[in-house]
Amino acid sequence: MITDRQPRSFLEPAVLSRLAGVPLLARKAMVGNVSGRHTSPHRGSSVEFAEYRKYVPGDDLRRLDWRAFGRSDRFYVKEYEADTNLRLCLVLDTSGSMNFSAEGRLSKIDYARRICAGLGYLASQQGDAVGISCVADGIVKTLPPRRSPAHLRLVFDILEEAKPAGPTRLPEVLHELAETIRQRALVVIVSDLFVEPAVLASSFGHLRFRHHDVAVFHLLDPLEIGFKFQRPTRFLDMEGGGSIFADPVDIADRYHQAVNRYLEAMKKVALESGIDYGRVLTDESYEQVLARFLVGRAAGSGLR
Amino acid sequence: MTFLQPLMLAALPLVSLPIIIHLINQRRFQTVQWAAMMFLLSARAMSRGYSRLRNWLIMAMRMLAVAAVIFAIGRPLSRGWLALAGGARPDTAIVVLDRSPSMQQRSAAAADTKLDTGRRQLVESLATLGASRCVLVTDPAVKPLELASPAALADLPAAGPAAVPADLPLLLQAAYDYVKENAAGATEVWICSDQRSNDWAPENGAWGGIRDAFTKLPQQVRFQLLSFREPAEGNMAVRVTDTKLEKRGDIRALVVTVAATRQEDGERVVLPVTFEIGGVSSTVQLELTGREAVLKNHVIPLDRAAGSRGWGKVSIPADANIADNEFYFVFDEPVARKTVVVAEDPAARRWLALLAEIPPEKDQRSAAEAVAPEAFVTTALDETALVLWQGQFPAGRDAEALTAFLARGGQVVFFPPDVPTETTFAGLTWRSWANHPQPVKPVSWRTDQDLLSNTLAGGALPVGEVQVFRSCAFAGDHVPLASLPEAAPLLARVADTAGGVYVCTTTPNGRDSALASEGVVLYAIVQRAIDRGVAVLGKSRQVDAGPAAEVLTAKGIEWSRLAGPADVLSTEIGRHAGVFAADDRLVAVNRPAEEDAGRIAADDRIDGLFRDLSYTRLTGTAGSTDSLVQEIWRAFLIAMVLALIVEGLLCLPKSAGAERSPFEGLRPVEAAA
Repeated sequence: MITDRQPRSFLEPAVLSRLAGVPLLARKAMVGNVSGRHTSPHRGSSVEFAEYRKYVPGDDLRRLDWRAFGRSDRFYVKEYEADTNLRLCLVLDTSGSMNFSAEGRLSKIDYARRICAGLGYLASQQGDAVGISCVADGIVKTLPPRRSPAHLRLVFDILEEAKPAGPTRLPEVLHELAETIRQRALVVIVSDLFVEPAVLASSFGHLRFRHHDVAVFHLLDPLEIGFKFQRPTRFLDMEGGGSIFADPVDIADRYHQAVNRYLEAMKKVALESGIDYGRVLTDESYEQVLARFLVGRAAGSGLR
Repeated sequence: MTFLQPLMLAALPLVSLPIIIHLINQRRFQTVQWAAMMFLLSARAMSRGYSRLRNWLIMAMRMLAVAAVIFAIGRPLSRGWLALAGGARPDTAIVVLDRSPSMQQRSAAAADTKLDTGRRQLVESLATLGASRCVLVTDPAVKPLELASPAALADLPAAGPAAVPADLPLLLQAAYDYVKENAAGATEVWICSDQRSNDWAPENGAWGGIRDAFTKLPQQVRFQLLSFREPAEGNMAVRVTDTKLEKRGDIRALVVTVAATRQEDGERVVLPVTFEIGGVSSTVQLELTGREAVLKNHVIPLDRAAGSRGWGKVSIPADANIADNEFYFVFDEPVARKTVVVAEDPAARRWLALLAEIPPEKDQRSAAEAVAPEAFVTTALDETALVLWQGQFPAGRDAEALTAFLARGGQVVFFPPDVPTETTFAGLTWRSWANHPQPVKPVSWRTDQDLLSNTLAGGALPVGEVQVFRSCAFAGDHVPLASLPEAAPLLARVADTAGGVYVCTTTPNGRDSALASEGVVLYAIVQRAIDRGVAVLGKSRQVDAGPAAEVLTAKGIEWSRLAGPADVLSTEIGRHAGVFAADDRLVAVNRPAEEDAGRIAADDRIDGLFRDLSYTRLTGTAGSTDSLVQEIWRAFLIAMVLALIVEGLLCLPKSAGAERSPFEGLRPVEAAA
């Protein structure tokens, strides 16, 4: 049981306890080092029969199927599925744009903290290893996945200390992570994805190529979609770019067109890359978002 | 376009209010920290296309709405959509009304005449314009009439139809005099006319003076010509050109020559011409194929009991213009055609007397008295129709006697003396003789009117055949009737004198010209001059309405009306057609012959008369019920409402579906794998 001396602002025990009923499952076979809840590509000692294999000298005689020998006069070894644990790599975008909040809603970074903390907690609870990488124009901070509950506390510390600043270089960072994360892992990216979808596609492809299971929480503030401004406005770039002066009445149409085009392209990239992509508006309850995510994964799990 | 409240137009800069508000709004910007810059950048990179156009349209509609409100408050007036002359409410409105017979033309569709329509439109316009003073000018001889209100124009007898042609130059001169004398403020002169050449006389030299005078006036004078120039379709006019009393056995008969004219060629028609004499009417069918048909010497037997003097009326059925469908005439025993020949040169005297003595008709009596200039003073001129004078211009008592003779309508033809002196008569002075080494012949002469006009049959007099060996120049205002080469006159009429004063620049003497040997021309001159003189001598007279009819207004004679419109004021007598009697005298008043000609002055000629002046020509139609001037603020309010509706439609947000589209698919999507 993890006990924090100070309550973390992004942890809500009630929410976590409600979510604990649904397991966090990988959609792909994971390679863990201990037994766990997730399917493994290897044969192991679970109760679930997998296949027969010819006996070779050295095999444990206890696993010979004597009934099969009796029927066919040949030695067969009975194999069972292996269950293993998973490595959950949380990728948190801490670029300047994540600091955006409007109309009293949670900022995107706060929302992302809650999602990461919830997933980390749930994974840790089922014995999975949890690690985190904060990324902006590079990997700002990283913590490799570990199984120990004490490690989760370090993860929460990093979440707490994460400060959104600087521009986004998400595609490059994802390429780097794809190379550095050892073995198969569940990579959960929480970001506003303000980069060209076409560029992201190659990063996702890279992660998939490395057999990682990729899930993306695409965070957007409703104001960023609706663009409901009345007065002429000077927009200052939160990632340190210049400013743009625009009359919303004049530009809203084209803004909406650009947003639509972007969202369509992102959806297409997600489908083509085969990643678990979900758009999240920050006015939604994060509990629902997480529940939907977990349930969705449970339904599609079990593939090896 | 004119405005009743032009000061309100000072608010027109308010039209820029939407732009100013827009600029202020632009300056009231807010600054926000923004994450999704990539969408803004790509939105800016997109073409603005329709959005930009829409913004411009919205701005234009707002400005239009403000402008429409300001114009509506300015109370705009429409004066026909084409007349966009600016100006405000006039101080004085002068109405110059052409009430000549041609203005009584009706259109085929309506019962109103041009004059009625013009008067009604003027009343409406003036009431709308609200001029503080309204003045009517219809007759140069009458002082301009100040009207209590424009409505008085509708039923004022002085603005009603008349038989007098309108002399527009004189009327405008009267208008000018009024403006000058009364120091009127901003003046608007409304001219209502049908642009007849004989009324406007565009070639009249007085126009230049009138134009200059108006240009020099310190106050603003605007001219509005309400023109009813549509031609009278199928209109016919009837006129009696000659009446003679003849005795055929013991029956007296009236021989009448009637001419029916129309203004354009048309189909052959048979016109019933009705004669009415002494309450007895008779009708004759007259066939009209071209423009004119003449019923020559129609004989109407007279009642035995009736006296030798009488009057009658000839009429044709009503048509587009009823004012020229009737003609009054009077008849009487022919008076003796007496001529006094005064000549220095015995040869000339003999020739002139001979030509004057030969009557043109067999039953006429002609007499000529030839006297030397010295004996002229003893000659009685009472019953003389013509004086033929060859010699120095009369002076002293001779001149007085001759002036009196002219004043009562007598005719004089002057021929040059052998030795010209400086004596002056009626502004005329003989200069010197010019010998022509080669005989010269007249190169041009007036065939349309006066002594040398074409014969009734239409043929020209052989004026061009007359050889002139020498001619004597003279000084004085004149209108040439026949001209020798180099514009030297052969025969001229002296302008602006009572009666008729003619000057012939050569004599019938064979050494001066072939006038006597080629006697036809001189005979025609003499006999036509006698005709003119005789016309005023008899007890019965045929006069044109207008100045010629002033015999009716002479003091001491009480005229009674025998025929003609009954509702004519005594002051208007002589301006309407009719027959009048006093003692044993009879006078028939009719419209002048030019009224029947129907020539219309071209628009550009008329416009040219007003060049350099503020002038607008409005075209009216007889019987039209439209107003010339009307307030059109409603149109501007409607324009404002329309502009606001269009602006509202343009400002409407996109449809709800389009609004929702950015949120579409914002729920998590199933992963492909």
